[in-house]
Amino acid sequence: MMLAKELEEILGKENVSTRMSELYCYSFDASGVEGLPDFVVRPATTEQVADVVKLADMSNIPVVARGAGSGLCGGAVPVEGGIVLDMCSMDRVLDIDIDNLQITVESGVVHEKLNKALEPYGFFFPPDPGSTAMCTIGGLMANNGSGMRCVKYGTTRNYVLDLEVVMADGRIVHTGSKTLKTASGYDLTDLMVGSEGTLGIITKAVLKVHPLPHSRSVILSSFDNTTLAGKAVVKVLSSGIIPSACEILDSTAIKAVRRFDPSVELPDVGAILMIEVDGMENAVREEAALVGKACEELASAIKVAESGTESENLWKARRLVGAAISKIDVKRTRIYVGEDIGVPIKELPGMLEYVRSLSEEFDIHIMTYGHIGDGNLHTGMAIDMLSEEELESAHAVADRIYRRAISVGGTVSAEHGVGRARAMYMELEHPTSLEVMRQIKRALDPKGILNPGKMGL
Amino acid sequence: MLLAKGISKGMDVDESMIDSINTCTTCGLCEQMCPAGAKPTDVFEELRRDLVRMGKVKGSQLELYNNTLLTGNPLGEKRSGTSFILEQRDVPKVADYVYFVGCLGSYRFREDALRTYDLIRDVGVTVLSDEVCCGSPLLRTGFDADDLIRHNLEQIEKTGAHTIIASCAGCYNTFKNDYPDRFNVVHITEFLAEHMDELGLGRLDLTVTYHDPCHLGRANRIFDAPRKLIMAVCDLKEMKTNRENARCCGGGGGVRKGYPDLSASIAKKRIMDVPDGVDNIVTCCPLCRVNLEQASDVPVIDLLDLLYIAQKEVLKAV
Repeated sequence: MMLAKELEEILGKENVSTRMSELYCYSFDASGVEGLPDFVVRPATTEQVADVVKLADMSNIPVVARGAGSGLCGGAVPVEGGIVLDMCSMDRVLDIDIDNLQITVESGVVHEKLNKALEPYGFFFPPDPGSTAMCTIGGLMANNGSGMRCVKYGTTRNYVLDLEVVMADGRIVHTGSKTLKTASGYDLTDLMVGSEGTLGIITKAVLKVHPLPHSRSVILSSFDNTTLAGKAVVKVLSSGIIPSACEILDSTAIKAVRRFDPSVELPDVGAILMIEVDGMENAVREEAALVGKACEELASAIKVAESGTESENLWKARRLVGAAISKIDVKRTRIYVGEDIGVPIKELPGMLEYVRSLSEEFDIHIMTYGHIGDGNLHTGMAIDMLSEEELESAHAVADRIYRRAISVGGTVSAEHGVGRARAMYMELEHPTSLEVMRQIKRALDPKGILNPGKMGL
Repeated sequence: MLLAKGISKGMDVDESMIDSINTCTTCGLCEQMCPAGAKPTDVFEELRRDLVRMGKVKGSQLELYNNTLLTGNPLGEKRSGTSFILEQRDVPKVADYVYFVGCLGSYRFREDALRTYDLIRDVGVTVLSDEVCCGSPLLRTGFDADDLIRHNLEQIEKTGAHTIIASCAGCYNTFKNDYPDRFNVVHITEFLAEHMDELGLGRLDLTVTYHDPCHLGRANRIFDAPRKLIMAVCDLKEMKTNRENARCCGGGGGVRKGYPDLSASIAKKRIMDVPDGVDNIVTCCPLCRVNLEQASDVPVIDLLDLLYIAQKEVLKAV
């Protein structure tokens, strides 16, 4: 209770909670990982974050940063208890500097709000996660999230120029510069992005922004099965076109979208590809035609969205597909395991075929969707949470998916992060470098207070 | 929702959890937004029933329960039911329609209730001589309302009516979804929209906005009838969030009674949705009306008031 008093002195009584109703709600994210914190605190300034971390350092108690809690791997779950830093109060856009192509934000800013702030200037922050309406920039950076537009625009790490970070001993450091490139010193910015709060607490970020494209067009191609769709992706990408987005939805995902929003017109087929091209109008028209040409031998139908509204409705529905699977059968709940693998582009058809075979072998519906253009596949299983047998099957399927992805040179997480849920695969995926990661962790956080129990560290 | 999970697994319930569970207005906006199709309103109402069974209730909830059982209304007013209508109007004992006045109509907005009765009485409408609360406040806060429901049902059966007309969104929702399916239930706005030509409405030089009561709109999909009536008499400018996406007034689910500060702050947020340049906020739920009134500089009126003024306009012209 002494610690509670000290936290109250730093943050004010109203920003420290030990009430069970709150602690319990902070013991989850959107994965199945659980861990009860001892304190939940809501800092409003970097200095408060630093003081809390100093206190945690002196008291040798874990500190876990948390954004909106929309993570899918237990990254923000305090599996060893301690203090949860709810960063949502640090939600200010501090500076929009279009002349320098950058924006400065606090880490609790919600992704969608960032883009709303940039829109009047004709600019945007390209990484586009499905959770845009709720996830915070801090969470996005900590997991190097990306979403639908990274085929052309890259992932979050490609947009981070400088970070303000509170280190494990409470020091406040800046990792980069305000320039668009630098060759000076170790790239600590890149080290922090994707470190899931295990090396420092990100409090502010300078992000590079991109001009909004003049025009966008979505090409909807239908296929008899996911394997054919996978082959079409290889053809499109190898033909020299870089789409701004390239998404796959299998028949179950199509069904989920239609159930969620019947007004979205999607064909009743084995799989569809939603390929977006953007840029100047003429270029977009030409590229759309080339995408159609690349798909035509394999697709059963090709359609170009007729208006911006139709395209936006398609993306809106696509963003929600992960959760909408529960609408197909109300007794089943989406379980997020094995859901975020990445494989080399050429391995996509084989991986899709493998997932289909697992579905048959385990007699379990596996919805496949995701950012296939960068080799990132989301697999979704909806199970009866009261059935031990189904839960076991889902985990067995996930294990096979993870191992297969690693065996073909892929990764267990392309954008959701490792957290606790995938920590056991780190050794397999990084047999030679995990120890280096551990050395870095020990050097920067010798007491191991920052988000312990994560990433297999 | 997470607390529901914890409690279902046997977690001890403390005061902070009771507060958390009781601060849901049961507005259903989360259900509307949830892509997975979760039904938090159903979960919360079930959870509240569990808490009541465990004896984990707050003083304000108990007060609401005791008031309603003792006096027949959650306001704790001396029971007089619809006597103010029976004394002032020639009400038939038997009729095809029952106008269910509701507690706020009976004890807070009697003039409105009389006007409502006057608007519809020509089609053959009676009222219940000993109307008691429909049961909504008890059902929404986890209590049993069987006695109230039984009492009202017995009286409705005596009138021979085939249809209940409710002017309160909460009463309408309760009759529609919690009472046995023995008669038609219509909201007053549905009924009036169908008989609009017979109402003798004039045109008013007003621009108003409309607040969708959650238990009428989102819960029962009645969006068009109130708008049809409003647009027949004046101009309508929609709120920033409206129809199925409308924000709650903050009054429902026992929150106004149990957590007045929270209720007021939700009302304040809803008022931020009001567009510029409107003369009135119109709604058709007395609870929404009183809760929004506390937060609004723009006068809040019932749709029935608006129609009454529009009728007077015609009479003035004559």
